[in-house]
Parts: sequence; structure tokens; C-alpha cells
Amino acid sequence: MTPPKIKIESLDFYYNNHQILSNINETIPENAITSIIGPSGAGKSTFLSLFNRLWETTPGARVEGRVLARFHHSFMDINTPKFSVTQLRRAVGMVFQMPNPLPMSIFNNVAFPLKLAGIKEKEAVQNRVTAAIKACGLWPEVKDRLEKKATTLSGGQQQRLCMARALVMEPEILLLDEPTSSLDPRSGAMIEELMVDLKQRCTLIMVSHQPDQVEKIADHIIDFTPGPES
Amino acid sequence: MNRWGEKAVYALSVISCMMLFGSVATLLCYLLIKGLPALNLGLIFGSTPVGDALLLKRQVFDGIFPAMAGTLALILLAITIAVPLGLLAGIYMAEYSGRFTRNVFGFLFDLLSGIPSIVVGLFGFSAILFLHHHVSEALVPSLLVSALSLAFLVLPYIVKTTQMALETVPRQTRVTGLALGATKLQNIVFCLIPESFSTILGGIILAVGRCAEDTAVIMLTGAVASAGLPNSLFKGFEALPFYIYYISSQYADQAELNQGFGACIVLLLICATLFILAAIIQRKVKHTLLYRH
Repeated sequence: MTPPKIKIESLDFYYNNHQILSNINETIPENAITSIIGPSGAGKSTFLSLFNRLWETTPGARVEGRVLARFHHSFMDINTPKFSVTQLRRAVGMVFQMPNPLPMSIFNNVAFPLKLAGIKEKEAVQNRVTAAIKACGLWPEVKDRLEKKATTLSGGQQQRLCMARALVMEPEILLLDEPTSSLDPRSGAMIEELMVDLKQRCTLIMVSHQPDQVEKIADHIIDFTPGPES
Repeated sequence: MNRWGEKAVYALSVISCMMLFGSVATLLCYLLIKGLPALNLGLIFGSTPVGDALLLKRQVFDGIFPAMAGTLALILLAITIAVPLGLLAGIYMAEYSGRFTRNVFGFLFDLLSGIPSIVVGLFGFSAILFLHHHVSEALVPSLLVSALSLAFLVLPYIVKTTQMALETVPRQTRVTGLALGATKLQNIVFCLIPESFSTILGGIILAVGRCAEDTAVIMLTGAVASAGLPNSLFKGFEALPFYIYYISSQYADQAELNQGFGACIVLLLICATLFILAAIIQRKVKHTLLYRH
């Protein structure tokens, strides 16, 4: 197995007084696809939200324990207040279950994270957007209509657009919350292929409900199915 | 619900709509019948030549031109004061305030939106009277005082619609920007406001309408029957609603009353123009924000 990218140490997650995750200890390997499986309500999506601290947007949510991620050679606890959440989210991309393009043009959707990061130089933006769209195999389909509204694309295209948008910042970690569950099988297969390709440059963590998908592409599995004792 | 229930609700909702539509249509027709004959350049410019009046060479004394200009100036001024304040307060309420402040402020804004305009007018009047006596003799009821009072009157609409619009942005959209590395402010400016722009604009349009029609506030704070074109923030001014009120309470003959109806149509046209303008601005802003690259 490849060296660890993230280490989770004795982690508890609470929503108000309700404990969602208890005493989690896991290691997530670099340049691999880690799949999180388990029944609905087991806390899979919550677990995924630990890595970009998106859980902080839920009122009443609270974390105890450490999430150590390796950016620039050394492990750092991403939950310490001095770790900038904005910087973290620029290094950890996320793709949601439902494609969520913003109500703007195709080009501007992919360029949006660059705009947020203050990257303005026109040529650089152009090149990075093009590269990200090409990496997601979407270029031939959209190259003639980059200024069109992103919501005019099909569901599968929208999801690949969202992946392009997540990749334009060249994240080291990519989170995927059931990325293919709202798509038809063909679009789903395209996303799966894309994920395998992406292993070379990112660490992927995916929540999945589809056993065949997990078997096909996952290198490492974290199972949230409750044990017989609970 | 059973079949009859379904039908009854459908029928009642259709009837309600028809009644509303009927009332609006009746009102407009009545205004048009009464006002159209009086609606001509004479109503607006009186005996002053149109060119001279528009180029401000000569004052219009017997037309509603000064009142139109006064109303337009009043609306623009009041909205310019109220919109930034209302937007920022709405953003604070929706995005930054804690539960306690949200409840307290929310209650206050609700209270404020329920205050009758005559009370706001009286408050503006008392305030300027106090300042007149204690600060400077030069401070009198004027365009600025009216605009400030009106802004105060419409502020709750803008705050409430902004707050509601932002709060009802679905969670999915709310976290999209954040997950892409937006700071809180970037998320508000680039994701949440564009998403809720139409609703916020609805609140502003409501406020424009209110500024255009309100008579109680301006009567007490600066509107006068004859002042000429507005040329100073610190002087009295003419306004269409006040003109309509004035003429309908002291008209000498039918022809004069009909001028009041004519002025009503002009006031409606000014409002309609502003609404259309708002819609165009919305489109343009949206396009520049979201589609240009």
C-alpha cells in the first residue's frame, strides 16, 4: 500500500448531544481510492466532511480527536484553529452526490475556484480551465459552448463539469460523496474511469452505495457497517 | 381530501384571482377614462413651452412637471439611502447574527414595518423641528428630510426580503462555494446574492412603489404645493402624490379634478418605468456577474 496521506486518531463527532461517530482510527493511503461503505445514517457523509471541514457549516456540530493530513511532507492537524479552512478547501476538492453547477456559464463554473483564490491572469485562467475540462473528458462536448449556461448540460456532463471545477485548483485530496448515484450507468462508468486516472495525482476518498463500484475501483475500504456487538 | 373538496378549493382560488384581476382592471379603466382627456402636454408643462421647460430656461408654474421631477428625485434619493443600508442589515441578519440578536432585531424590524407612515412622518417632522430650534435655523422640512423619513419607512421591506432571500438559499447551494474554497464574504457576494438576486430586487421594487405613493410622510416633512423644480436638498419640493391629494381635496371644478386623475396616470407610468428599469438592471447585472469571462 502507498504511504498514508491522512491519519484519523480517536475521533468523535457530535451533532448537538447526539454522537454520530465514535472513536474512529483510520489511515488513508496516498494516490489511491479509499471507499467508505455502510448503511444509510451510519455517518459516511459526515466522515467525508471531516476532510474539508465542511461539517463546520452545520450548526451544532462538534469534533473531538485529530485529523492529520500530510501537505508539504509533514502531518498537520487540520482541525487546529491556525489551519486556514479556506486554504484547506482549496487543497481538498469535493464532488457532491447531485451535480451542483453554479448558475453561471460553463467556463465561469470551472474558473470560479481560481477567481476565489485571486488568480486573475487571463491566460493562466484560460489554460487551467481548459486543462481541467480536458482532464474530465468533457472538452469535445463543451468546447464550442463555454459561455452557455452550465445547467443546460446533461446530468452526467454536469457531474464531470463539477469534477473539472474541483480539479482546477489541482487539489491533493478529492472527496466524492456518491458521485455516480444520480447518473445513468454510462455516465457513471465515465466518472469511475476518471477517478482511476486521477489516482496518479490525488488521493481520492469516495462514499459509495454500489458494491460493484467499490469492488471495481477501490484500493482501500473503510466499512461503517455496525458490528454485531452494537 | 375528497373530490368535492379538491374542486371547491380550485374554484375558490380561481374566483379570488378573478376578483383581484377585476379590481385592478376596474381601477385602471376608471383612471384612464377620467384621466386620459386631461393627459396632455398642457397638464405637464402648463403654458410654458416644452423645450424651454425641459432645458430649464423657464419655470413651470401651472403644470405637474416640477411635481414629477420632485417625485423622481425623492424616490431616487430615498432608495439610494435605503438600499445599501437595508442590504447590509439583511446580510447581517441572515449570515452573521446570533440567535438572540436575530430574534430581537427581527422583532424590531417587524414592528418598524407595521408603523403607519403618518407616524414616521410625524417623527421626521418632530426631529427636523428639534434640529431647527437647537442646531440651525436653516434646517427646515425639505427634500432630504422627506427622503430620510421615506428610507426609514421602506427599510424594513428591504431588510426582510434580503434576509429571507438569503436564508432560503438551499443548503446544497450554500455549501457549493464554501467547498470550493470561498471565504464567508466571497460566498455571500458570489454565490448567495446572485442566487437570491430576483427576490431581493422584488423587495426593492416594493420599496420604490411605496416611496412613489406615500403622501403622509412627505406632507409632514417637506412637500409643498408650489416650489418649482427641486434644486436643493434643503428646500421644500413638489411631489405627485401630494399634488393629487391637494387637488382632490380642494378642486374648484371638474376640469381641475380631472387633472388630478391625469397626474395619477403619470405617477403610475413613472412607477412602471422604474420597475422596467429595475428588471433591465437585474438582467444586466446578472449577466455581468455570471456569464462574462
